[in-house]
Amino acid sequence: MCTAVALPTSELPDIVVEQLIDRVHTRGGEREVRFDWRSVPALLPVWWNGRLQVVKWGNRDRSERKLPPTGWTWRETVEKGKWSAIEPEPVEVPAAYVMTNGVWFRVKQGVRGLLVRTRTGEPVVYLICEPSTRYYRVMTRATWMPVLIDEVI
Amino acid sequence: MTTFVAHLDADCYYVSAERVRHPDLTDKPVGVLGNNGACVIAKSYEMKAHGVKTGTPIWDAAKLCPHGVYVKRDFYWYEVLSRKMLGIVGTFSPRVEYYSVDEFFFEAIPTSHRTDLPGTATKIRDYIREAAGLPVTIGVARTRTLAKLFSDTGKPFGAVAVLTRDHERELLAKMPVTEISGIGGKRADRLAPYGIRTCLDLADADGRLVNKLLTKTGYEIWLELNGTPVMPIRPERPPHQVLARGGSLMGNVDDPKLLWAWCVRHVERLIEELRYHNVRTTTLAIQLDWKDGTGTGGTTSMPVPTDRFDDLLDAARTSLRRAYIPGATATHMHVMATELRRAKGFQLSLFDAPDPKKEKLAATKHAINEKFGRFKVRSAATLYLPAVYRDPANDFDICDIRGKVCF
Repeated sequence: MCTAVALPTSELPDIVVEQLIDRVHTRGGEREVRFDWRSVPALLPVWWNGRLQVVKWGNRDRSERKLPPTGWTWRETVEKGKWSAIEPEPVEVPAAYVMTNGVWFRVKQGVRGLLVRTRTGEPVVYLICEPSTRYYRVMTRATWMPVLIDEVI
Repeated sequence: MTTFVAHLDADCYYVSAERVRHPDLTDKPVGVLGNNGACVIAKSYEMKAHGVKTGTPIWDAAKLCPHGVYVKRDFYWYEVLSRKMLGIVGTFSPRVEYYSVDEFFFEAIPTSHRTDLPGTATKIRDYIREAAGLPVTIGVARTRTLAKLFSDTGKPFGAVAVLTRDHERELLAKMPVTEISGIGGKRADRLAPYGIRTCLDLADADGRLVNKLLTKTGYEIWLELNGTPVMPIRPERPPHQVLARGGSLMGNVDDPKLLWAWCVRHVERLIEELRYHNVRTTTLAIQLDWKDGTGTGGTTSMPVPTDRFDDLLDAARTSLRRAYIPGATATHMHVMATELRRAKGFQLSLFDAPDPKKEKLAATKHAINEKFGRFKVRSAATLYLPAVYRDPANDFDICDIRGKVCF
């Protein structure tokens, strides 16, 4: 399961980077913001309503009773319409690097997510997953992989 | 007048190629993963500094270098940049050998009467960096063997011209004999009892002794080490003696249906090569590697040279049956055409009448795949390999880059 995504700070608005300063890391001299599932609160960047925003990732703290207490959903579940009652929106989660089981790998654009709202209207995003390709399974030892945008790994 | 040979070697080529299209990877520890995603096939200097080597399994590499970034190989892209580099080098030299995807040999000629060979090497290196975005190292010397050895001393992003014997001897004295391409552990073991440990030891050894110990190949290396060019620059790749396709079966395969599907896939790939090189074969061999480390082979001869799918499939069936061990688990398969004939002008058999209908069918399949992409029309036997065909990266392998002298 994908547990973190990273995006260079140059691709995020300065004000967002300032708010997330404790999540800024340096890799090879370049600063990047790491959005880690283990961070509190767990957050993800999403393209939503035409702009890049940082929203809550999943419902790990179980603060919302009607939402599943995870950060991922299956593509099959989405396609079967099991989320339709709460009016989900497909969103893109921009990322340069994605981490699964300790392996960081480069992605071209990012991964697909599903955005829903809590009863108070707060946006929450879930990463959409599908069964791993053989290559991905060997690379990360994960049986599920995030749905990548216009890319096969 | 002495002619000089230049050897160009791209620095950690696959990583550099990825950095051309993903500049954010610059200065980061980067590893390119191989066909199965299991091993690092190329690493950046930053990743190498953490102890990751070529061939390191990904799970070990991730422990050695937790912040390293891994990339899936893309041989299409590596060929694009390789040919771009080749084109650039061709503007500096009339004779260029496409040795491998990231290595060329070429005749070193000063770019102008005011530029010496060291200056020329630097100029070509800098121009490639500017025009293709790739860091390369260039070595110039009297022979190919020397140029290749000296370019290694200049890495990364170096330009080394070794033009005098004294300078050659100084560098050769520091290099173990195993640095020479073609001298591996076994050959080095044969040389060691005679006190030959460095390249200079080999160069100073008696040529007759070298011939006796290492045969003609070793003797040619000895001549090259002493500045006598033996191996010419080959602007055209010499015709293939054997064509082969194959490799890893992407896991353990014990199901005969899967094994047959792989065999058919490799036969289809082999036919593409036969047609491209305008040759046919009278022999089809299959080599299987088994999980216990053993290997078996099977060969079938055909009366008439062919590149047709139905003929080669029949031969493959027989060869595979000969190589197959019931119940055993295979890991690798290679399908080889070992007796090649030019496609025109061969002797027909008395008993095999030409079959224009099947010829047309083969031509149609080839034409469709040429126009719409590889494997758009393929044998139904390969339907047992959905994961292989679903990933477009599997459509193109390093061996599909044509015209290289070396693999």
